[in-house]
Amino acid sequence: MRYHPLTILFRIYQLVRNSFVLVLFLFVIKGQSEFWLFEYGRYALIAVIIWRIIYIFSSWFTETYQWDDHSFHLRKNVFVKQTTTIAFSKIQNVTSHTTIFHKLFGYTSITFETAMDGIDDSITFDFVSKQHATFLKELAQNHSKKSTVNDVEEKESTPTPAKEPEQKGVIYFTPSKRELVRASFTSLSFLIIIPIITKLYEYAAQLLPNPEQYNGLFYQLVENKLLLFIIIVAAVLIAVILGLIKTFTRYGKYKISATDTHIFIKKGMMNESHFTIEKSKVQGLEFQQSMMKRIFGLVEVRLISAGKIAEDSVSVNSLYPFLSMQRAYHLVETLLPEYSLEKEMERLPLASLYSKLFRPSWIWLIATACLAYFKPAFLQIQSTWWIVSLLLFILVVVSRVLDYVNTQYTIANDQIQWWHGGFTNQLFVTKKRKVIEICCSQTLLQKIWNVASVSTMNRSSTPRVEVIDDVPLDFLKKLTAWYAAHDTQMNKRA
Amino acid sequence: MEHLALENKLSPAFFKARLISESIGNVIGFIILIGLFWMKGYFNWPEWADWLVIGAFVIHCIGTFWSFIEPKFLYQSWGYQLDREFLQISHGVLKKEWVTVPMTKVQSVTTSQGPIMKAYQLRGIKVETMGSSHSIPALDEQVALELRERLAEYAKLKDVEE
Repeated sequence: MRYHPLTILFRIYQLVRNSFVLVLFLFVIKGQSEFWLFEYGRYALIAVIIWRIIYIFSSWFTETYQWDDHSFHLRKNVFVKQTTTIAFSKIQNVTSHTTIFHKLFGYTSITFETAMDGIDDSITFDFVSKQHATFLKELAQNHSKKSTVNDVEEKESTPTPAKEPEQKGVIYFTPSKRELVRASFTSLSFLIIIPIITKLYEYAAQLLPNPEQYNGLFYQLVENKLLLFIIIVAAVLIAVILGLIKTFTRYGKYKISATDTHIFIKKGMMNESHFTIEKSKVQGLEFQQSMMKRIFGLVEVRLISAGKIAEDSVSVNSLYPFLSMQRAYHLVETLLPEYSLEKEMERLPLASLYSKLFRPSWIWLIATACLAYFKPAFLQIQSTWWIVSLLLFILVVVSRVLDYVNTQYTIANDQIQWWHGGFTNQLFVTKKRKVIEICCSQTLLQKIWNVASVSTMNRSSTPRVEVIDDVPLDFLKKLTAWYAAHDTQMNKRA
Repeated sequence: MEHLALENKLSPAFFKARLISESIGNVIGFIILIGLFWMKGYFNWPEWADWLVIGAFVIHCIGTFWSFIEPKFLYQSWGYQLDREFLQISHGVLKKEWVTVPMTKVQSVTTSQGPIMKAYQLRGIKVETMGSSHSIPALDEQVALELRERLAEYAKLKDVEE
């Protein structure tokens, strides 16, 4: 099958959007410049744009796709003939983005990610109708469902009719108004007023040619206490409202739903995005907490997938970024019943704190060396360099103490989970069979305190390594024994 | 950390082979440095270049000195162990590391041999997994080939995609 003809339009739209700034820069801002870089840059840009347009058209005519019971087949024919086959079982996650441009026509885009790396590691449909996207998604999903069932018995062969994704599964989470308000304050979204005000001021300054006029206005304002008070209150109100609007548009339409086998995350108002992952392909979980979120008792939970995940302003694989701790634990346990989160965890012994504190901080050493050499004077104070160095040192120490306080770890059944980190801390949870490698290490310094570091590696587009420093040797023993017990269990099952 | 001591060691010839290959590298390094000193005088390089060359010279001297001591420690610290389930490798002098790789995650095994290693009948083994690669730098040829076969066999036995 050929891709939808509007794909061409969409790609041209993308091209225009991406090259807009460059065109503006080279032809308008530096339009008069005769500097060779800009002069040749203009020709180069035109050449690239023409090339892209030719490519967009010719690729539409030559690229086709089809599918059978097990896989997608992609055919490219632009300059080199190329056929790629991607089996449904290799698909790790599915994301679909619906931008305003898509909405205009009632279409969407959809990407199937695999764990392979290389150019042909994913299948992207830039512009497909919603029905067709749903159909493709179901196609891949039904297969994976079938393959797990068919291992036991091979009967079911009629594919279930395609349904709208909206109706599928049970909805487990949509943020309430209260949660959105809390999210708005936690993310300090009301600070958005600062860039808006500066922008407005820039425009206003152009419109008001005579600065003395509003200087006088300003003094009048300061004298009239009541008016000043009202203006401040109004400014705060506007800031909060703008923050709320921002948060509501970004997180308002959040929806997490799930079937027995899959998890669906939907988000966004203007630009919608859907994320789908098979439950058995979740490589692990990550709970992330910034300083601010810790104060409010909130947490962001992310599902780790072996496939690539496009980083946006809001990462698509995140369950709601402002979950209360309890709700997060509950949500995880209902979505992924095989994970049971332990609340009681072990903490580090005091020796670990010494080990952390005595480790040389390379950042601090290098920064101090640079500061001592250049001696930058700030605000005409000659001694700034050592004050900065001292502040940095305090920051390093505080972060290490926080890391010591925050670190908690436990092994339960086939699951490992640990908290670590200084100013932002995170909890990492994974299963034995998802860990592809463990590594223990001990530096000479750690040897003095009888502690060591352990790390796990999980599959991800760049392998995900989680390190926990300065654990007592007992835990290290426990971890290696736990990991070694892994395959004997697997053998019994096989 | 005694419980993590691994059964097998590198070939004793690793010591000599490493010393020779390091020495060759060091000699080449010195030749380049002498060349730089000559060029510095010949082309009249600015003053900061002096410091760079002298710095490089000092670092290289320390490195040469270390390369005489290091092989002994490296030999002592390297160890590996293989069973049907796991490959374990330990190494490191200043920072000691123990890696455990399940056979199910092994993707490929490669052996390699350079001219010096050939003279001592040594082979290196490189194991690639889904996320990283690990190597055992020098084993007796026979041992290495046998290990490769065993690795390939165990890894193939459990070739299941998760």
